[in-house]
Amino acid sequence: MSHGDSDPSEGKLDLVPLIDTVMLLLVFFIMTSKFTTEEKAISSLLPTDKGQLSAQQTKTVEEPKQVNLVIYPGGMEKGYQPSEYRDQLLKMRMPGQNIDYADFRIGANRLPKVDGKTLSRSRDAAHVGAALDEVHGFVFKALDAYETGTGERKDQHPVIIHCFSGMSWRFALIAYDAVRAYEATKATFKFSGNPDELARMREVTFAPPRIRNYSANELGNELYEIINMK
Amino acid sequence: MAGHKRKKHFKGMDDHLDLVPLIDVVFLILVFFILCGRLTVDQRTEQITVPPTRTAAKFDTKGWERIVLNVYGSTQNGKPPRNSIALPPRPPWVTAATDDYTGYQKLREALNSVHDRAEKYDDPKGTGMKLPKVIVEIRADAETEYRVVQEIQQVLSDTIDPSNSMLPRQNVEPKQLKAFVNIDFTTRKPGEN
Repeated sequence: MSHGDSDPSEGKLDLVPLIDTVMLLLVFFIMTSKFTTEEKAISSLLPTDKGQLSAQQTKTVEEPKQVNLVIYPGGMEKGYQPSEYRDQLLKMRMPGQNIDYADFRIGANRLPKVDGKTLSRSRDAAHVGAALDEVHGFVFKALDAYETGTGERKDQHPVIIHCFSGMSWRFALIAYDAVRAYEATKATFKFSGNPDELARMREVTFAPPRIRNYSANELGNELYEIINMK
Repeated sequence: MAGHKRKKHFKGMDDHLDLVPLIDVVFLILVFFILCGRLTVDQRTEQITVPPTRTAAKFDTKGWERIVLNVYGSTQNGKPPRNSIALPPRPPWVTAATDDYTGYQKLREALNSVHDRAEKYDDPKGTGMKLPKVIVEIRADAETEYRVVQEIQQVLSDTIDPSNSMLPRQNVEPKQLKAFVNIDFTTRKPGEN
């Protein structure tokens, strides 16, 4: 009894090592933790019955019907020669630089000057959302005119996205997103993410590259083809 | 006086809880987080900002293997250069715009090894192709040039040969192709970056 009275530290836990350890852990996690945006995904299915191999095996009697969604540098118009498109492109940007504005077209419907900076850099959700909604509204209205029958969605004309190779990926993905959003409004089932379900949906693909060597002249040719596409 | 106090302190140690096992466990957890945290960073490099979309969702794809293919846009100090591609944990490969397809060759080699070990199913379209139960997630920066994503899709579908100037594969039976057709494009909600 007298021993306990003489040593007040007896019977107490020594928490100093624990606190030291916890502080070390805290410092470690503060220094190493990174707050990242939660990423999501849009699913896609590459066709296996198209392309060079299948083209040799199947004989096409008539040109297949499809909806072409074309994307090219904002402000470019029909009626020029490839060399003129090349010159316009060189004035618009230095080689390798971004093109900030894009024109979207489906048939005769056109959405001019979509601002890429707003779409990919702004932190203002309402601002970005409004820009996305503008593209979605355009695509919805244009695709409505191409609806055929009331069968399954996979029987609708496929949508092919033809984007100029020098544009930023954001424009092509936003176009894809808009078509998928349109399909979601028409679908009879909710896509769960299972890849097997994609076969029941309308085919939406990106056109293969038109050119392989991305010289200024070739880019002019590519622009000519895309801008004059029906 | 001080020596006297210290002596008394140690005398009472038998009555204290032994914190050594606790500290050991905490350090084991620390090592675990160091290793696992590193893996996560390698898979999804922070140098990439994916574009925003409306229809993006978190999908439950149980039973499917998932691999992430990073595609870089403009990066700080240009390292790696714009339009580089990386299949973690491998280092990034450069994709040039003219006549140099070594980046795609390396990608194809890596994909071949993934295809070889993956579970497969028959193509429902009856082409005879054996498709892997693998989802390839293309995690491309918003500022990546569109041509790179186009070319990646061609390499994934195995319709072109990167070691032969990206020309179409000729005289190859469909069942010999090592195509990946299930693709996810990484995206995010508007305003989050």
